[in-house]
Amino acid sequence: MQGKTAASRNLASCHICLKLADASLHECPRCGEPLHLRKSNSLQRTLALLVTACVLYIPANILPIMVTDQFGNSTDSTILGGVVLLIDMGSVPIAAIIFIASVMVPLGKLIALFYVCWSVGTGRTTDPRQRTVLYRAAELIGKWSMVDVFVVSILVALVHLTGLLVILPGAAAVAFAGVVIVTIVAAESFDPRMIWDQQDVINE
Amino acid sequence: MATPASAGLVACPSCDLLFDVGGMRHGEKAVCTRCGDFLTRVRDDCFLKLQSYAISGLVSLMIACAFPFLSFESSGLESIMTLPQTAQQLYDQGRPDLAFLVAGFIIVIPAAVLGLLTVLSTCIIRQRYYPWMVPVTRLVFHVQNWSMVEVFFIGVLVSLVKIAHMATVVIGISFWAYGAFALCFVASVGNLDRLQYWNELERLAGLKRAG
Ligand SMILES: [Zn+2]
Ligand SMILES: [Zn+2]
Repeated sequence: MQGKTAASRNLASCHICLKLADASLHECPRCGEPLHLRKSNSLQRTLALLVTACVLYIPANILPIMVTDQFGNSTDSTILGGVVLLIDMGSVPIAAIIFIASVMVPLGKLIALFYVCWSVGTGRTTDPRQRTVLYRAAELIGKWSMVDVFVVSILVALVHLTGLLVILPGAAAVAFAGVVIVTIVAAESFDPRMIWDQQDVINE
Repeated sequence: MATPASAGLVACPSCDLLFDVGGMRHGEKAVCTRCGDFLTRVRDDCFLKLQSYAISGLVSLMIACAFPFLSFESSGLESIMTLPQTAQQLYDQGRPDLAFLVAGFIIVIPAAVLGLLTVLSTCIIRQRYYPWMVPVTRLVFHVQNWSMVEVFFIGVLVSLVKIAHMATVVIGISFWAYGAFALCFVASVGNLDRLQYWNELERLAGLKRAG
């Protein structure tokens, strides 16, 4: 026995306070947030943000995330270079954390969000539950990719005061922070209810 | 034309299916049967917990900002780093953009969320309602996802390993205080149930209107 959706009764659910209100209202009667049956232009906005994140991902990996200056010799290190260096130093678990947080999480998140957008755009009706879980997982793990940016900031502050060695944040740190922020906003602008709309229309 | 929604009716935020969650008792949790998303959890003591974790978190953060976070010893030179210096050094090194982001994610946003939650939960516990509580609560729900306290804590652990071969790093009081702050933040926000919170606020507003 399948229940009814809010949209089928022309009710809009507020994403801030979960109040159900007549979809013709422009504002939530309880909290004042703009009210929509579905997030407006969700697919186009999410895709535009995902493309932006992909573009930012290129300098984030090519440019140095950290510049180390010791007795006049400066060494640049990229995100992947940092991972290789950690493996050479024998810190495999830490290398794994950085690799997962800086490479697998952002790429996995981009792929997952592109996939759910594509599945909604082409009107797929199979396994909606798996796609919803995938979307929610992508939303949840997003901020963990900030780890490397934080590591760079801590190293900069920590090492600076000794004067022996200088560590400077590289341009990739800004680009990478941009990737993380843009993908978080992209995940927020995607409306997972679109995954179910196709089959709800069929069932009616 | 919309069919009027009965009290206690809620739509799953992920799949829009309607559920009646009215009449739930303490300790009960509602989950969407179709997509598995979390709907709401009823806890009679959630506002008290929200308040106490928020206050403990703020106190921990004050300690974390005032004392040494990490100290670093290399060739007989010792330097002490405090938590706000993480952001300040980025600013001094010509990366103000990064400095503001880091300060926002690890200190400003989480501190603002806990500060506002302390005030809001105190008002609710005392059964007071003021119109400003509505926009302030909305703001809290908008920014709470942007706190990265737990991510920063992992970042500190990674940095400690990265730097271990260069010098001896000593962990300061504020490192533990920041850990406590991260735990209190997660615990406080964990007691902030969207539906229960707004229902209570709406009930208080109704009481005030009735005089
Ligand atoms: Zn609302
Ligand atoms: Zn659902």
